[in-house]
Amino acid sequence: MKIQKRLYSYYLIWPALLIYSIFFVLPALIGLYYSFTDWRLDRLEINFVGWDNFTRIFTDDTLLLALKNTFIFAVATVVGKNVLGIALAVALNMRLKTRNLLRAIFYSPSILSILVIGIVFTPLLRTEGAVNRILESIGLHGLSQAWLTDPSIVIWTIAAVSIWQTTGFQMAIYLAGLQSISKDYYEAATIDGATSWKSFRHITLPLLLPAININVMLTLIGGLKVFSEVFILTGGGPGNASQVFGTIILRTFGEGSWGLGTAINTLLFAFVAVISIPLLIFMRRKEVSE
Amino acid sequence: MKPIKKWSGIALTGLLSVSLAACGSGSGNTGNTTGDKGDSASAGGKKVTIELAISKSSQDSPFIDETLLDNFEKETNIHINLQLLPAEQTATVLQTKLAVNETPDLVQYNLASATTDLNLERNFEILDDEAWVSRLENKDVLSAYGHVYSFHISQDTGMQGVVYNKDMFEEYGLEIPTTFEEFLAVCETLKSNGITPVFMPYKDNWAANIWPAAAFANAVEPSWFDQLNANEVKWTDVPEFVTALEQQYEVYEKGYTNADVLADSYDMAVGKFLNKEVAMMFMGDWLIESVAEKDPSISLGLFAIPSGDDPKIGASPLGGQLFIPKEAKYKEEAKKFLDYVASQEVAQQIVDERAYVSNLSDVTTPELPGYKQEIVDNYITPKKTTLTTDAYMLVDRSELYRALQDQFAGSKTAEQVLSTWSDKFIQLMKDKGVEGF
Repeated sequence: MKIQKRLYSYYLIWPALLIYSIFFVLPALIGLYYSFTDWRLDRLEINFVGWDNFTRIFTDDTLLLALKNTFIFAVATVVGKNVLGIALAVALNMRLKTRNLLRAIFYSPSILSILVIGIVFTPLLRTEGAVNRILESIGLHGLSQAWLTDPSIVIWTIAAVSIWQTTGFQMAIYLAGLQSISKDYYEAATIDGATSWKSFRHITLPLLLPAININVMLTLIGGLKVFSEVFILTGGGPGNASQVFGTIILRTFGEGSWGLGTAINTLLFAFVAVISIPLLIFMRRKEVSE
Repeated sequence: MKPIKKWSGIALTGLLSVSLAACGSGSGNTGNTTGDKGDSASAGGKKVTIELAISKSSQDSPFIDETLLDNFEKETNIHINLQLLPAEQTATVLQTKLAVNETPDLVQYNLASATTDLNLERNFEILDDEAWVSRLENKDVLSAYGHVYSFHISQDTGMQGVVYNKDMFEEYGLEIPTTFEEFLAVCETLKSNGITPVFMPYKDNWAANIWPAAAFANAVEPSWFDQLNANEVKWTDVPEFVTALEQQYEVYEKGYTNADVLADSYDMAVGKFLNKEVAMMFMGDWLIESVAEKDPSISLGLFAIPSGDDPKIGASPLGGQLFIPKEAKYKEEAKKFLDYVASQEVAQQIVDERAYVSNLSDVTTPELPGYKQEIVDNYITPKKTTLTTDAYMLVDRSELYRALQDQFAGSKTAEQVLSTWSDKFIQLMKDKGVEGF
């Protein structure tokens, strides 16, 4: 399939590109420069300090903890949102009477503001909150936890809330992907005697790959950039137990260490780019076309 | 078709991550929402609009009272436009405005925090030569580095200690405790009567600092903090500091508090006192004021944190002062506003309305509410007050507050809290460029 004739000239891209360069690319480059300086609230002059800020990031316990938490959150949400998203999409692609209602219900949390989610979940997750009461009422005393105040599990709790909120959105993309798969494949497979697991494994999954790619990318970048979920639910606490890059950047700017804050931000940008671009290239290669 | 799709996907990813970096690096430049400098005119006689920046959480400030601003405008033809800043971002937005020379003409802030957050000396006018300065009773509460930098007509600094329900103390025949052992005994009696003795809302980590801030200041001489700020002594040097932190934790450990100390927040405190669920809390007298506003029949009082020997009540530095930035466009007009508020008639009216302790020699202090009078009689007059630790700090303390949360989460001992904070403190002082670090 060749495009016969170009209707518009590429020059039309210039206005948009110019605005994009001035408001995104240029500030990003300036930010890159500042991350190598000791730019501070109470200093008049800004000095170039080389890699100092970056050395500090990798020697500061709190910053390393934030790094670890960011990755835990990113991996947990990528896995959770996509596995559950596919499961929900496959289930709600079946001929159920309540199909449309259920789709709407599962999608609805992703419309809610994160502030509302915070207000709803904070009391639910208290030690004497509803979640623990339900667990205890069915005899699972051992599972009841200090969900938001135990340093060892708090980041997992936040990831779970995030999964609860946006899995419905991932489900919607997967549903669209599922509906674009031709029924013919399944009919042929059934005639050949394939089980439903086999047709899922060999037809659904490969043909769903474009949707999986976009969802993994979206959830991964979203996961590495996480801020609001942590900020609303715990503010990075208790202590620094649930700090992630996003909240640490805010804290660092608040302390007046603008150079260091910019450096952490540059590092986050580098992580996102280094992880997501090769992953994207890799996953694109795996895609098959019908 | 396929390569185009592929590369557009990669470009999209790149775009997402670049925009992410741009967001972050730009955050030093956000908050310019009120860019235009009013509809002002240069020549005299014409109406001038000046800008006053204030945190949303300070909306009850006497200086932004509508009638006051209207009367000022009628008299001087100067209109004051308010820039209300989001409470949790006030410092960041002001830092940014000052850094990019987009300064308001007046700023309301706390003097002590202005020295740590806003670089007082570089950014703000010295007001020593203003007419109202000669009428000040207590210059210190408005001064830093030996100069008057800020303006207020009150010298009523907040007092910090243990807020307690007097009726409950009376009902169970309790005396005000002056040692930690007595305090524990009081807690035990209250607990056995089904009342939560102490409310700890330590989800808000600053609230965990009220006990130590007063107890630390009580344990050492004020000069100790000068040595600390010169790196001659360390936070970990004073055994009483460890004791103070252990004591606060002991109150929690013995079950004398709400169960979920790290999940409960400060905004629940007023309700807890109104419902008579709790008897005490480590807080400032501003909490008493908030409770009295909702229900004046509840009688609360304040006593000193019973940590060491001869406990004194903690005096927080005065807050809510007005400042004039050096780069302000309408400095003269801003100074006129200070003159207007300081004029005898206007100041007397505000002081009466707000029951302030007046800081102007020709303005008289009205009758104080009961709890305030008690603080004056029991602590201020016999000189049993001490400036809290916060008053001496030159750097951001939130890392100390976080370490205190860690103590209650069980991941740090009292010693570890102090050593973590000591390291962070040295780092922050070094970054700030303080001599000796």
